[in-house]
Amino acid sequence: MSKFEVPEIDYTRYSNRQLAAVPLAVLAVALVVLAGWYVMFGTPVSLGTDFTGGTELTVQTDTPRGEIDQAFEAEVLSTQRVRDPTSNNPTYVATFGPETNGSALGQQATNNLEPVCSNPEECDIVLSRQTVSPAFAAGAQNTALLGLFVAFAGMSLLAFGLFRTFVPSAAIVISAFSDIVIPLAIMNLVGIELSLGTVAALLMLVGYSVDSDILLNNHILRRSGGFYESTKRAMDTGVTMTVTSMSAMAVMAVTATLFGIDLMASIGLVLVLGLATDLMNTYMLNLSLLRWYRLEEVTSE
Amino acid sequence: MNVRENWRVFLLAAMLITSGVVLFVPGVVGGSDGGNNQISNLQYGIQLDGGTRLRAPVVGMTAENVDFAGQDQGQARQAMADNLSIPTADIYFQVGRDTGVGTVEVFNKSVDQSEVATTLNQVGLRTSDGGQFSESDIREGVTAATRQQIVDTLDQKLAESGLTAGSARVATTPQGRNYIVVEAPNQGAEELERLVAQRGSVELVARYPGDNGTMEETMLVAREGIDSIGSPERGDTSPYQVPVVLNQEGAERFTRVLNENEFTTTGAGSAACGGAEKNDRGYCLLTVVDGEVASSHSLAPSFADIIRANDFSDDPRFVMGAQSRSEAETIAVSLRAGSLRAPLDTDGRQVYTLEPALADRFKTNSLITGIIAVLAVSGVVYLRYGESRVAVPMVLTALAEVVLLLAFVAAVRLPLDLSHIAGLIAVIGTGVDDLIIIADEVLAEGDVSSARVFQSRFRKAFWVIGAAAATTIIAMSPLAVLSLGDLRGFAIVTILGVLIGVLVTRPAYGDILRTLSIDE
Repeated sequence: MSKFEVPEIDYTRYSNRQLAAVPLAVLAVALVVLAGWYVMFGTPVSLGTDFTGGTELTVQTDTPRGEIDQAFEAEVLSTQRVRDPTSNNPTYVATFGPETNGSALGQQATNNLEPVCSNPEECDIVLSRQTVSPAFAAGAQNTALLGLFVAFAGMSLLAFGLFRTFVPSAAIVISAFSDIVIPLAIMNLVGIELSLGTVAALLMLVGYSVDSDILLNNHILRRSGGFYESTKRAMDTGVTMTVTSMSAMAVMAVTATLFGIDLMASIGLVLVLGLATDLMNTYMLNLSLLRWYRLEEVTSE
Repeated sequence: MNVRENWRVFLLAAMLITSGVVLFVPGVVGGSDGGNNQISNLQYGIQLDGGTRLRAPVVGMTAENVDFAGQDQGQARQAMADNLSIPTADIYFQVGRDTGVGTVEVFNKSVDQSEVATTLNQVGLRTSDGGQFSESDIREGVTAATRQQIVDTLDQKLAESGLTAGSARVATTPQGRNYIVVEAPNQGAEELERLVAQRGSVELVARYPGDNGTMEETMLVAREGIDSIGSPERGDTSPYQVPVVLNQEGAERFTRVLNENEFTTTGAGSAACGGAEKNDRGYCLLTVVDGEVASSHSLAPSFADIIRANDFSDDPRFVMGAQSRSEAETIAVSLRAGSLRAPLDTDGRQVYTLEPALADRFKTNSLITGIIAVLAVSGVVYLRYGESRVAVPMVLTALAEVVLLLAFVAAVRLPLDLSHIAGLIAVIGTGVDDLIIIADEVLAEGDVSSARVFQSRFRKAFWVIGAAAATTIIAMSPLAVLSLGDLRGFAIVTILGVLIGVLVTRPAYGDILRTLSIDE
């Protein structure tokens, strides 16, 4: 087995401008995506049932997927097949809009869908039901925004408190911001909706991403040794940390998808996206800002 | 091994043993019933065990600082009800005994704030500084006392209907809206929704022709007049019935009202009764639930004789009628638990229900997912360091964090849900990150030659870890305080995990690493 080594990058070959350009360009594209979403759909990110209100039914039925819609009087927004290797019965998640009556929908499913076995007592059709009223959803939306904002503000204050100099602290704050915004844009593009679970993942990202930034700042600003030597040591540790977390989250995303545990799958996926973004932001954006702060402009050769 | 130098390792070992006891020895955790085939003392929430959670706001609005001085409260309440054309049960006064100042609550969706303000002024109630009420004096929502009464009654109802593991509580959103949350493990939604949908006021009403030809109604028996309530059974006069025994006062009122209104003479055995409708002639006894007639039956002639002879008080048994068994059960539960002071808003409610079968699958599958994630972490760590003496303690320490955390969760009887599992995985993630920082710092620049070198390097590593832990705690703390459903559990578990990690397991890993690296 080959040993996993953190690759050494010769930073002297690139100017600060070149280094910062890539992450800033990606951030700009992400912001454009969010802005475009806002213009087209009225919200910068696609919101899940948790934040819009509505009903989600998990049903287990032999009715073919194309005919499930007909069982309900209300309009079905989406039907998704749940893959679960531990169960042979076809299972679907049907989503309904906020103006629907959850208990009526549950009743319609029980009455109109084909059970997977002959004795309806033994195999329930409705496995789970979640109804969120629009008023609740609006409240949850505000609370989630508030939570993210307070978390971010707290983290920023702490960063400034720890390093007490503007540029390094600002570097942490900018890359943490970018670590949240870029995954949000990718979530829009690949069709992951913002739910309570993904908000949790974004908050986790604040914690994770700041780890490697603090490590880099600490090595460069508070340790003896040259800039590139400190960077090398910080990267050895930092990249290992991020790759470890990424591998755990990637595995979690894949297994949870196979098992059909949506919440864990989306948390895993968002974290993989965010940690990858964090690698870029920490070792390109944050690093170039630190080098500028430490060594002033370095001309590329 | 020197105990004094390695006390952190011994502390960790002791905590792990305690955790093992808390997690696996049946009956250690207070209140757990050990005997239901559980492998551990962990409690599972609705997402992992199945069940139903229902959240709903209370219908109602409140006028604060109402001066009741010189008012007959009963008359004022009746006047308000007539004015707003709502039942008197939808109006509630709370008056401070010394001050004569209190609150007026109106629990009805059909009226709005300005109507309530106008009505308060019309019946002569004033604000505590003597002014008139305006629309802005009436706020949405009910008083804390009313919410508490609802929670207590719902708890009682849950217990009476056999959902003993269920519970009700008040939750407040950061926007200041209050909700009643009802949870019932292992229960489907229908039963809980039925329980919550009804306010549960049950009355027996006598309906008979009045003097001027119109039908009149007089309340015969309410919950206060009942001494004990039997179990629902098949009935003679209506499909199902709930036998009740009246108390002395209830029996006297029953006898008086029936005798005064000719039920025991011309009205006995009236043919106009039956079904679940109000009679437009004849003499009927109506069982009324939340203002709707549940059943109607006549007074049997033999029974009428007993009442006429004033012998009813000797054996004051009677029945409340119902059309179905579930309706009869609702009546029995409502009579035992009492009625909700205000109804819950069924339009604004949030329901989460999960079949135990699916929950079981979630439980096993999320466990497998967690184990696979840990294996992935171990693999990467091993590949990176290539030395088992660094990697193995690292993975074991991270797992120790999870065990300590699970033990804590079991000890405080926090029901474990999917969000907590996500939190646990986050803890493994940050935990391993920090251990990597420690290992890299300590092992950098060649081998550690002395305890002093180790100490200085460890301290340097700890600065970064402490800073990172502080940011995570700050990032999560708003969620731990805000009531955002699932995210609260996630935040609490993550914060606790970070604390356990920084205070106990990560220092212990430092000790282990020192022993391993200095010895060589």
